[in-house]
Amino acid sequence: MVPLARKTLIYEWRRFLPAMLAVGFAGLLQLLQIALVLGIFGSTSVYITGSSADVWIGYPGTQSVSLGRSIDVDVASRVLMDPAVRRVESYLWVDGDWRGPGNTGGVSVFVSGIDPRADGLMFSRALAPALRARLAEPNAIVIDRSALDQLGVAIGETATINGQRVRVVGISSGLRALGGVNVLCSLDTARRLDNDPTDTGPTYLLASLRDPSQADAVAVRLRGSKAFGPYTTWSASDFARISVRYWLFDTGAGAGVLFLAGIVFLVGAVITSQTLIAAVNGSVREYATLNALGVGVAALRRVVLEQAFWVGALGLLGASVLGIVLMMLARSQDVPVVLNVPAALACIVLVMGLAAVSGLAAMRSLRRADPATLLR
Amino acid sequence: MMPSISAIETAHTPAVQAENVSKAFVSGQQRTQVLDRLTLSINAAELTLISGPSGCGKSTLLAVLSGLQKVDSGRVRALDSELGQLDLRALERFRLQHTGFVFQGFNLFPALSAFEQVELPLNHMGLSREEARRRAQRSLEEVGLAQRMRLRPSELSGGEKQRVAIARALAKDPELLFADEPTSALDSANGQMIIDILHRIAHTHGTTVLCVSHDPRLVVHADRVLAMEDGRILSDHRRQTPPAADHGTSS
Repeated sequence: MVPLARKTLIYEWRRFLPAMLAVGFAGLLQLLQIALVLGIFGSTSVYITGSSADVWIGYPGTQSVSLGRSIDVDVASRVLMDPAVRRVESYLWVDGDWRGPGNTGGVSVFVSGIDPRADGLMFSRALAPALRARLAEPNAIVIDRSALDQLGVAIGETATINGQRVRVVGISSGLRALGGVNVLCSLDTARRLDNDPTDTGPTYLLASLRDPSQADAVAVRLRGSKAFGPYTTWSASDFARISVRYWLFDTGAGAGVLFLAGIVFLVGAVITSQTLIAAVNGSVREYATLNALGVGVAALRRVVLEQAFWVGALGLLGASVLGIVLMMLARSQDVPVVLNVPAALACIVLVMGLAAVSGLAAMRSLRRADPATLLR
Repeated sequence: MMPSISAIETAHTPAVQAENVSKAFVSGQQRTQVLDRLTLSINAAELTLISGPSGCGKSTLLAVLSGLQKVDSGRVRALDSELGQLDLRALERFRLQHTGFVFQGFNLFPALSAFEQVELPLNHMGLSREEARRRAQRSLEEVGLAQRMRLRPSELSGGEKQRVAIARALAKDPELLFADEPTSALDSANGQMIIDILHRIAHTHGTTVLCVSHDPRLVVHADRVLAMEDGRILSDHRRQTPPAADHGTSS
């Protein structure tokens, strides 16, 4: 077969360039938006993804990890009765009001009271062991690098949270929070900072299992007992997903992503289809001649669709290269960007779908390739 | 009635027949009768020329006889097929198997070499890759472009482009070759060469060549000249003496 579609694409690349750019930028825009949203909202589950617990136990109906309520501490013994559970650890979440030495006014902080032992589950992946060990000191706190300016404090300085004096003993990284600032301290310190009299037990219990792959089954098994007051369980991955989804949809960011996807699709498809239509119109007499010679309309349509496919594929290639460069740039500047396989696949589907729709639209202008019009 | 013997083997056998064919175009309130109860038969293996002033309906006649347009009334029979009874697909198949076209504009794809222009329609005929290439090669050699096969249209002259277009039609080995004003965009030397090639195709390949033109140079080379006016055939002249030996195509 003479590769008409590809040969034309290469020979007349200037004609197809706008379509490739349109497809490429549509893809890039969507890719970066998804990566940013996933990055920003992914930080809402850093408490879960940064820890090594397999199962989380918390108050029933909790919609996001930042919205927990205290549960009865005796639930821990119920959980430990399950033979699959290796150990259980408490996690106390306290909403605090920060008053720093700098001129920062009040800053709302999320205090995470964690077990400072070296083998503690909470933040085991996000906190260096040396920093964790320093939390054992009373009133010691660790704050994230990204919040230093916000809190107006430096290492070794003191501030107050909920009126209680605390001292910054370390700086962590990668614990950026959404809508506030993460402050890490020991469980003991957190209890001192907690001025809510209804908080009687931990906000969450974290369980590690002998076989982490059983997390879903164990989470289901541990539910249902009411003997120790209300609680429910999630596998860590489920709870992380629930937390991210809550923020995505509660803040409208998810709707924003979908809205932009729609706009990107529309604008991209309009430009791409116009370019392809112009390309078809530019060759309409040649197509008509082929049809006069008996080459079927179906075969001509395939040529147009193939061109659309290549426009999409090349646009996607450009978007990927640029996207990777931009994401590396973003990472180096502490901008939270995350791209996972489903999101990348969604972008590919969007871009190729855009190209396909444009190809179908351009195919319609093949109707003008009527060989009878060549006879004047 | 169509004869049962092959049209290619026997000259002066109708390859295309039109019977009481009428065709009108309506634009708004205006109705223009382009073909008016026209009856005609085109003999096989001849170069038939339809001439006439512009607007006389000669191009429409070509479109109707080649199955590119439907008639309002009457019948068109080409080879063994009743064209009016074929649907769009069947007409495409008929054209693929039996017809070649040469148009006034050369209509070549800018991106393809001369060789690829000729090979492309052959790909759709179900020929093997080797056979398609062999035919493309042979056909381009026949129109004198053996040395220019790798060139794109932008590197070819007008006459060479039209020869590529003829090779594209010829490579299909069509029984019917339709040409619409094939020389009108060319200078006299190139026009002459195209006429010679068309004439030779009719006589050496036994192809029925139906050519529409107002180019007076073509008249002397045609086996038969039909003069048209206002949708009717005015005169039908046949050349008495057999045509002189073919002119060479290479300049």
